[in-house]
Amino acid sequence: MSTAITVPEDLWEGDNEGVITAWLVEEGSQVNQGDLVAEVMVEKAQYEIEAPAAGTLTITKQEDEVVAKGTTIASLDA
Amino acid sequence: MQPTNDQRLWMYRQMVTSRHLEERIETLYMEGKTPVFNMAKGPIPGEMHLSNGQEPCAVGVCAHLNADDVVVATHRPHHIAVAKGVDLNAMVAEIFGKATGLSGGRGGHMHLFDAAVNFSCSGIIGESLGPAAGAALSRKMQGKPGVAVAFLGEGAANQGAFHEVLNLAAVWQLPVVFIIEDNAWGISVAKQASTAVLRNDMRAEAYGMPGTHVADNDVEGVFAAAGEAIARARDGQGPTLIEIETSRLAGHFMGDSEDYRPEGEKAGLKGRDPIPRYRAALLEAGLIDAASDADLVDKAHERVEAAIRFAQDSDFLPPEAALETVFV
Amino acid sequence: MTTTSTTSSSRKLTIARAMAEATAHEMRKDPSVFVMGEDVGPLGGVFGNTRGLHDEFGSERVRDTPISETAFIGAAVGAASDGMRPIVELMFVDFFGVCMDAIYNMMAKNTYFAGGNVKVPMVLMTSTGGGYSDGGQHSQCLYATFAHLPGMKVVVPSNAYDAKGLMTAAIRDDNPVVFMYHKSLQGMGWLGTEKGATVATPEESYTVEIGKAAVARQGRDLTLVSLGAGVHHCLRAAKTLGEEGVDVEVVDLRSLVPLDRETVRASVAKTGRLIVVDEDYHSYGVSGEIIASVVEHDTTCLKAAPRRVAYPDIPIPFAPTMEQWALPNADKIVDAFHQMMSN
Ligand SMILES: Cc1ncc(C[n+]2csc(CCOP(=O)(O)OP(=O)(O)O)c2C)c(N)n1
Repeated sequence: MSTAITVPEDLWEGDNEGVITAWLVEEGSQVNQGDLVAEVMVEKAQYEIEAPAAGTLTITKQEDEVVAKGTTIASLDA
Repeated sequence: MQPTNDQRLWMYRQMVTSRHLEERIETLYMEGKTPVFNMAKGPIPGEMHLSNGQEPCAVGVCAHLNADDVVVATHRPHHIAVAKGVDLNAMVAEIFGKATGLSGGRGGHMHLFDAAVNFSCSGIIGESLGPAAGAALSRKMQGKPGVAVAFLGEGAANQGAFHEVLNLAAVWQLPVVFIIEDNAWGISVAKQASTAVLRNDMRAEAYGMPGTHVADNDVEGVFAAAGEAIARARDGQGPTLIEIETSRLAGHFMGDSEDYRPEGEKAGLKGRDPIPRYRAALLEAGLIDAASDADLVDKAHERVEAAIRFAQDSDFLPPEAALETVFV
Repeated sequence: MTTTSTTSSSRKLTIARAMAEATAHEMRKDPSVFVMGEDVGPLGGVFGNTRGLHDEFGSERVRDTPISETAFIGAAVGAASDGMRPIVELMFVDFFGVCMDAIYNMMAKNTYFAGGNVKVPMVLMTSTGGGYSDGGQHSQCLYATFAHLPGMKVVVPSNAYDAKGLMTAAIRDDNPVVFMYHKSLQGMGWLGTEKGATVATPEESYTVEIGKAAVARQGRDLTLVSLGAGVHHCLRAAKTLGEEGVDVEVVDLRSLVPLDRETVRASVAKTGRLIVVDEDYHSYGVSGEIIASVVEHDTTCLKAAPRRVAYPDIPIPFAPTMEQWALPNADKIVDAFHQMMSN
């Protein structure tokens, strides 16, 4: 089963776009639910993205790519 | 001490000019910095400390100064530079790092030097006081007219240099005035978390000089307090410490999310924005009407726009110029 | 000679997170460890390296200070000599001017003056480096200024793995350690982070020995020696030169005091060519020290005169055109090698 990692709608206030500043897990590795996987920056504030489920990580939005709320940035395959 | 009508209009015009400059810098600064906020990018890279809200401190003091008098400002210098009469074109060009800037782009926004009007500033907290005291000493030794003014934030009053210089200035009775712009915050740390002293003007007594407090970011209150202090300095009666309760309407620097501020504080401050308040006071006093106000504002804005065009149209120095002017 | 070992863990950290994680770990274990500095509390440090600590440990152990560096760094010296293990932050190294006495006359010397009978186990964290147009009072490295003065250890990590291990080692060290972190490696997006600094970093606690360099890349034709952000310029230059068939070794000093001269000498003995890359000022600095360490030991090992790519002896200009021109980068390293070979 595959679960998408999306940018949560309530991660920050307003509808500004953000940018992925760091992936904190390597592509293809196994992550647990709740693991911190990436950092997103909006203006000068940094926000954390956690894994919504366990699985093997496939990154679809790389570092420096622009993301909005709801953007799928990776998938997790269990 | 009351300002004349000309002085009132001058102070208002300088405040409007400074605010428009800051608002334009705010927009231009963000160019190239969205969606990813990278400080190195855009036409104005680096840190940017805007002075929105603090204009009364600059105009109320500088209304009493002329080009001969010395001002040393801080990392948040724009409003003071405008009020001191720093060449606006060259100042904005410096903020853009251009060849036509005050120092050809070597200084940047925290290091504005205009010798023609005796203005300078520094990015190190607490380091405005020493040079101001030294300029005052030099005036005294040379028998030249003129006084010196150091601006500092309330956070700087906890820096060692503040205490050393106050003591020195008082014991030598130097013609210098120390202006604390109390915007209640040093980056994310509140004033009351940084000092057990309620108001920094109270510290004056410890050094044997008069201290004055100006409440509520009041333009004419600043004018009165600074006027007295500067007159005393000119008259050889030594230094004064003034603390002005002001407000930081922008973040500490551009990009500051200001999450540390209590809920609603910012909105409250914006509701007490000193510029609309002073405008209302001048309207009520009959010094301006809607039409003359619009005209004054337009002219002030156009001055800023012209400076920005000047900066944008200027070139950078060749990179090798970095090696020049280390020594003269 | 030691080589940075990356572990099997796939979890990566930024240097900011690595520093905070090491600090949190030591604070949990040892109640004498506490943190002081400007904006290190709820804000988590202007450069993110104390993020989360205030939430976990509260204001008693994670203290926002007044803008009074002489006071709180001096206080750290006193607390460290009295059974605590303070970690203090000087926000930008450029600000050392207002508080250097506490650092070099007390923190660095008290142990010696006491004949070893007084310990000063403290860490002074401070940010270094430019490249983002912050002007001449917010962009310096000043590595040599600190490394020159005896009595304090000085470390400069180039990646998160080393940052965590060096931070843990620094906190546990019974001597004062200056921990200099380069802003462009920190992982604060707004400072445009060097990707190579965010690397796999184990969750468990470990130390990286202070005083041991790492060979970040093995090679036989040329030795590049650097520290902090310079290591990443070297790795890029090594790649470019590799495409020309030049096999480059990169030595990451990691510590300036003690300085691992052995690793540098061993590398140059193998390659015969040395270029030192340093974002600190050219004269009287790390680059001169490294070259001296090689040639005073053996004048025969070099096949060419050594070179340095360092910051010119000028204050750092604001304008991006001038600043970028003055900074070391991979192209300058490649050029320096070409010049070395054409002479
Ligand atoms: C000696 C020194 N320490 C720290 C800093 C970093 N810093 C820059 S602005 C600032 C806050 C200053 O607060 P305040 O003096 O109240 O002025 P404000 O920014 O509020 O105008 C700090 C801590 C610095 N520039 N110099």
